[in-house]
Amino acid sequence: MKKWFFVIAVLAISLNIMAAEFFVEDSILTPDTKPKWGGVLRLALASTPESFLLYGTLDSSAYTVIMGPMYSTLVEMHPVTNEIRPGLAKSWSVSSDGKEVTFFIREAYWSDGKPIVADDVIFTFEYFVMNKYARGNSIDRFTIPDEKGENKMIQWVKIDDKTVKAILPSPYGPFFTVLSHVYIYPKHKLEPLVDKNDLGSVNKIWLSNVDPKEIVVNGPYKLVQVITDQKVVLERNPNYWKVDRFGTRLPYFDRVEYLIIRDAEVRLAKFMAGEIDFMAIASKDYPMLKQQELAGNVPYKVYATQPNQPTPSPIHISFNFDVNDPDLKDLFAKLEFREAMEYALDRQRIIDEVFAGLAIPDAGLMLPSNKAFYNPKIEKIMRNYDLKKASELLDKIGLKNRDKEGYRLFPNGRRVEFNILVQSSPQEYQDVALIFAQDLQKIGIKANLQILDASLVGQMFGAGNFQAGIRAFGNQPDPQLRKAIWQPGTQLYYWHYSTMDKNATPPKPVFENMFDWEKRIWELFELGQIEMDPAKRKAYYDEWQELYHIYLPVIFVCKGMNIWGINNTLGNAGLTQDGMIVFTVWTVYRK
Amino acid sequence: MWSFIIRRILIMIPMMFLISIICFIVTELQPGDFLSQYLENPRISPEQIETLRRELALDKPAYERYLIWVKNIIFKGDFGYSFSYQRPVVELIWERLGWTVAIALFTIGFQWLIAVPMGIYSAFHPYTISDYTLTVIGFVGLSIPEFFMALVLMYLILRLGGTAVGGLFSPQFIGAPWSWAKFLDLLNHIWLPIIVVGVSGLAGLMRIMRGNMLDIMGSPFVTSLRARGLDEKVVKRHIVKNALNPLVSIAGMELPNIFSGTIIASIVLNLPTIGPFFYNALLNHDQYLVMTFLMFIALITQIGNLLADIALALLDPRIRVS
Repeated sequence: MKKWFFVIAVLAISLNIMAAEFFVEDSILTPDTKPKWGGVLRLALASTPESFLLYGTLDSSAYTVIMGPMYSTLVEMHPVTNEIRPGLAKSWSVSSDGKEVTFFIREAYWSDGKPIVADDVIFTFEYFVMNKYARGNSIDRFTIPDEKGENKMIQWVKIDDKTVKAILPSPYGPFFTVLSHVYIYPKHKLEPLVDKNDLGSVNKIWLSNVDPKEIVVNGPYKLVQVITDQKVVLERNPNYWKVDRFGTRLPYFDRVEYLIIRDAEVRLAKFMAGEIDFMAIASKDYPMLKQQELAGNVPYKVYATQPNQPTPSPIHISFNFDVNDPDLKDLFAKLEFREAMEYALDRQRIIDEVFAGLAIPDAGLMLPSNKAFYNPKIEKIMRNYDLKKASELLDKIGLKNRDKEGYRLFPNGRRVEFNILVQSSPQEYQDVALIFAQDLQKIGIKANLQILDASLVGQMFGAGNFQAGIRAFGNQPDPQLRKAIWQPGTQLYYWHYSTMDKNATPPKPVFENMFDWEKRIWELFELGQIEMDPAKRKAYYDEWQELYHIYLPVIFVCKGMNIWGINNTLGNAGLTQDGMIVFTVWTVYRK
Repeated sequence: MWSFIIRRILIMIPMMFLISIICFIVTELQPGDFLSQYLENPRISPEQIETLRRELALDKPAYERYLIWVKNIIFKGDFGYSFSYQRPVVELIWERLGWTVAIALFTIGFQWLIAVPMGIYSAFHPYTISDYTLTVIGFVGLSIPEFFMALVLMYLILRLGGTAVGGLFSPQFIGAPWSWAKFLDLLNHIWLPIIVVGVSGLAGLMRIMRGNMLDIMGSPFVTSLRARGLDEKVVKRHIVKNALNPLVSIAGMELPNIFSGTIIASIVLNLPTIGPFFYNALLNHDQYLVMTFLMFIALITQIGNLLADIALALLDPRIRVS
């Protein structure tokens, strides 16, 4: 009897495999010709994931384990080139007016053998993505203005089990990019757990104490064990829908083990001892590791790669246009002053001293590695370190007179002095502030560092309670995803909050308080949002980048490179010719 | 004896109340609250922050939140809810308690095993080179910060080709069922935290033991023992036994010290104990988790003291009577 059961089970599984429509992974991610199956991949996490439901948490450890290793999206962004490619949807079609996108879901299965269907997509959107009570929702990204300018949600309609249609209020440029961040969850497992009368209940399901057997996945690995503060273990999902170019089913590893290590130095020690196969390296550790690598006898290599990730964020300097000091408010509003500040910023010294040379200066709004949106013209607009020019500009705006100590005076005789608000960690922010303040002193401006705890600093920026500040915000593959930061009149446009009416729900832009160039930037985001033609969209965002660098609402400092350490025994992992990292949990293997 | 114990337990109740108020005030004094970190996230809308604020009762005045908290502890045994983990606080602490207690007990055992003989030896050889050497060793251990010693030891181990870099197990044994190999692996790792955490307490214990012994050696009852012609071995046994009394009374204080005083060492050594978890809760403004942890330390201190007093009462009948 048992024997028969086994035969039937094997038959069922192989039929399953035959019926599946696989995605063939490309040779950028699988350059090696003889990859091997089996073994354990060891990675590090800084803390136990709080939840295994992406939309119920804002925890980066949870993101690491869920996004990619455990769950898949309808469309994917290529991990190296950032191009959009099929995911759970094998293909799609866009209607001629750009307002309807139909997705055809591939013949693929959840880890428990149930087929992945349109209902899963609709359920994920309805209860998680568009649920404003879910902590990790992304309603904002899927709510766009229609032709009349009224904000409307994107609608999802089931055509049949394997076809689902998105109906957009108007054509939406970054639609596929935002969709590549929507991880699809199984309706058949989660629907019974959601309390439909209390939509906040989604934040309380699949927390770290869940029985791993309950968690059903569509990514390369499924959860098998969570040991609080020690380890998270994943195991191959036999139903994963990707194969390599030789027809071998992915992933190659049997298991992925995430060791939970809170302290960065210990993580590094474990990596050096060969206990961890792959991890991000802090720039301060790069010289030491590289030296040891070159000396030989170590089990790893380190790579400084072109930055292509939103984190760590590029640092910028801001001057509060709404500061409640009338002299400073006047001063900060003058373009010549902000230009002088950029001339006084010694980017090269900061890169050399603070980032050990491992940073690039020409990155702020977009990364040079982002071929889809980066505008190289900004490199010509950016003002290079030149204290003489800075001084001349300050003289020109009437700050000629100096006091006994050599500091410049306002026409009313007051010393030109302001505070730079900085959070105490990471250390780089303080170091940048210090170097900047030293240079300002050379041109007769007194800048006091105001170094405080990060959460307090966040609140002060959020309340517009600062004079000047240093802070960092991320890039994204598509500028539209950072609309809430860079578009005037939005909630994170913190250096000019008077451009937003906070009391309106939702908050509204206040055009009469905007500079002309700010109005144009506002408009560019609105245009870029509803444009489906990539070339036209790029033109809008090119202009946006130029405006930021001409008018300097903030001054970008630099962006640290991404540094990775990879164990020598890993295959399909390393650097492309363009200096991009190659590593995904489903294509690496043990040599 | 029973009335003594019951009296002591009754005193603990108002003490815990007082401590809970202090814990609450201390946590409230932290700048910001749990939601302040959310303000940084561009995906969170202001309405959502408001909803969360209501959900977490952060919109209520502080005293009201305190009263709700205390009421739930008394009537439901519910110590509150962790904001960041979205789970009951007690459950989270419980998950991490096992290893915390194990390491604390191992460490105390280690300290006593080393410090008491060191103290005895020093006292019997006062003001000799060996006495001074032991004292210096003890004080060096006391003065080196734990996290620093942990880092140095780990570096040395790594340099010498060892693999016991932090943690209690090699990766393959974490979560594996118990076996002889797993036990050996634990022994291969656990000595490091025990030494790092334990060494700092050595000097104190050793000096107390030494001082007590010297005091007792000069006391009249020792002279009378000797005068009666008792064997020197028996006399020494009496001296040691009497000198242990004050040590027992401070043992109660050692327990909470090891729980709370080793947070940084635990972070550096990557130990799955409560310490690093508490540190993170503090950074996250996870209020109820922090308060419960503080209360827990207070409770341990009180229990430790109670146990020490009971042990002392058993050792010395005079205390029971008074």
